[in-house]
Amino acid sequence: MLRKADYSAPIFVAAALFMFFVGGLLTTVVPPIVDKSWARPFDNSDPAKGVTGKLQPYTEQQLKGRNVYVREGCWYCHTQQTRTLLADTKRSGWRGVDAPVSTPDEFVYDSPHLFGTKRTGPDLSRVGGKYDEQWHRAHFRNPRDLVPGSIMPPYPWIADNEEEFQAVVAYLQTLGRAKNWRPDNDYER
Amino acid sequence: MRDYSYPSVYFAYFYFVLLLVGAIFFFLRSVRHGYWGKDSEEAKYRMLKDDDEDSYEDLRRPL
Amino acid sequence: MQNEIAKSAGEIPVSEAVRYNESLHQDTTAKLFLVSSITYFFIVGIVALMIAAKFVWPELLGTVQYLTYGRLRPLHVNGMLFGWLLAADMGLMYYVVPRLCGVKLWSEKLGIATAALWNFIILGAVVSTIMGWNQGWEYAELPMFLDVLVVVAWIMFGANIFMTVAIRKYTQMYVTIWYCLGTILWTAFVYLTGNFAALFATGVNQANLNWMYVHNAVGLIFTPVGLAIAYYFIPKTSNSPLHSHKLSMIGFWSLAFVYVWTGAHHMLHGPISQWLQTIAIVFSVMLLVPVWAVVYNFFATMRGQWDQMRDNVPLKFLMTGVIFYLLTCFQGPMHSLRSVNAIVSKTDWIPGHAHMAVLGAFSFFAIAGCYYVVPKIFRRNLFSDSLANWSFWLFLIGGVGFFVTLWLGGFWQGWQWNNPAIPFIDTVVALKPVWIVRFFSGIFMFGGIVAFAYNILATMLGSSGNESSKMAAATA
Repeated sequence: MLRKADYSAPIFVAAALFMFFVGGLLTTVVPPIVDKSWARPFDNSDPAKGVTGKLQPYTEQQLKGRNVYVREGCWYCHTQQTRTLLADTKRSGWRGVDAPVSTPDEFVYDSPHLFGTKRTGPDLSRVGGKYDEQWHRAHFRNPRDLVPGSIMPPYPWIADNEEEFQAVVAYLQTLGRAKNWRPDNDYER
Repeated sequence: MRDYSYPSVYFAYFYFVLLLVGAIFFFLRSVRHGYWGKDSEEAKYRMLKDDDEDSYEDLRRPL
Repeated sequence: MQNEIAKSAGEIPVSEAVRYNESLHQDTTAKLFLVSSITYFFIVGIVALMIAAKFVWPELLGTVQYLTYGRLRPLHVNGMLFGWLLAADMGLMYYVVPRLCGVKLWSEKLGIATAALWNFIILGAVVSTIMGWNQGWEYAELPMFLDVLVVVAWIMFGANIFMTVAIRKYTQMYVTIWYCLGTILWTAFVYLTGNFAALFATGVNQANLNWMYVHNAVGLIFTPVGLAIAYYFIPKTSNSPLHSHKLSMIGFWSLAFVYVWTGAHHMLHGPISQWLQTIAIVFSVMLLVPVWAVVYNFFATMRGQWDQMRDNVPLKFLMTGVIFYLLTCFQGPMHSLRSVNAIVSKTDWIPGHAHMAVLGAFSFFAIAGCYYVVPKIFRRNLFSDSLANWSFWLFLIGGVGFFVTLWLGGFWQGWQWNNPAIPFIDTVVALKPVWIVRFFSGIFMFGGIVAFAYNILATMLGSSGNESSKMAAATA
């Protein structure tokens, strides 16, 4: 076998592909079959089972905003996952209420997924409902006006394009809202 | 969501054992077939010489 | 060039001329790939500096829609990975594989077509990333029509290399050939998973496919092809045989086995099944096996030869690259542990780690390959050895400055994040000194790119004085 892999290209190819496919199939095809929650949208109306809420599909406007978010590469600096770390639940929280951790069933309608790998700016997984339209407009125009020390680039062309701006804000307000985790502290109330 | 942490760890252990058994098996077989001699190391000397015009012809082996 | 050889060779019959390596290999494809990849290295290097500057001066070019961070980062990543590194690696493979097989490249015409297509893809990538035609997946930002072209180009490359191997004269395959064949096979499937299969999934399932691709873009594309290069050029430049052919086999097969499992370690603590995270961690730690097998082989090859490091510039790049490879692949398993991951994940540690792999290890290998190969295929002496030495030190100082500050900064940032009493913006402001050092390290690295690119360019266009003397020596 060792000699054959050394001398025969076809046997080499077969062995290399076999090695690859064992791991490849077991880590990509099997997990969604085993864990049904990856594809089942979050839906809980029983407070005894934890946070209640229901994941809604994106509207057309929200999808449009999401595309702007993807186009501008927001996801390079803003992750969208409240991890199973105490600090994450506190940082994603709002006015003293800790945010629940992100679960796979909250992201069923996401494509492309925007979990992110780098957190240059704060995590946005629970940002929906925290800031109103006016705040977002000023922030897009110049982030440093609202958050001194921020290194986020200004996005005047979003703030000035009413259609895109409304769409992006509509999308941002959906983030993390599948779970009703802070009933009394929304700015909207 | 059910937690498969332990089954997956046991699976990983099982897999490593499988790998180890395979490695030992092929090692012994290759020793028995005489692969473990100097011949199998020939490639590393030949690759040094492929720019050497004088010995170029001699080192070619028939298909 | 061929005519000149024939002329200077005079009466020597054709069969005699074929004996010379120079006339056996045409190397046009290798030349095209190397020239274009080094050009992109330079151009994308400018983009890299702009990005580093934006961390320090966020307003810089900020009101130009096409030059914001979100557009330039994918340009930087795709340009460096596919425009520079992969193209340079492919060019070197077009040089190395025919020599190891003892035959001509199967089809030089197909190779030239591949080079043309590849350049078209990279130019398309520049336009599409700047325009914001972004698919939204890391490392897979390019729009669909470019993805399809990449697959076509890869098949053309693979066919050429496989056919060359199929008609080889030497039956036993040297390690470099294994790694090259492995790269071609795995890349095909890894790329299809990341760019096409991911379309049919959403949410976490898609993320899992995407990270299988992201991780294996490094692990099963750049690692094997980088090691293919190191396995060829370390023995070549130091003129000492590889320590052990059989040990290299262990390294290869364990890499083939272990790497593909580890994609989920990009989502540790994240919204993905715990058991999948555990599997990814277990296999990530197993990565130490192939890495140490490979690195030991390289160090043992250099036993008694270390004095060559004094004035052999390609060897300096290679062995420094090996050390960076060892460090990167020690970091990798370590920060896939949950406890370490809770600190470093998503911080600036990550770019420090990624740059050490792709720049510190694999780009160093490719640069060494270029320094060795370009004088040979253009049949001239290297333009300047001292400039090459300068490029090495600029890369090394810039690289170490970049890596070390980002690790320290990233660790520090991670500690701050884990203390929720510190407002997020304070952790951003705190990192400013780190980003300033990163920018100046970037200037050093860019200086290295300039010195390297100029040296190669001057070698290609250099005077023919050396050429005739070398010809004379060859025919004598």
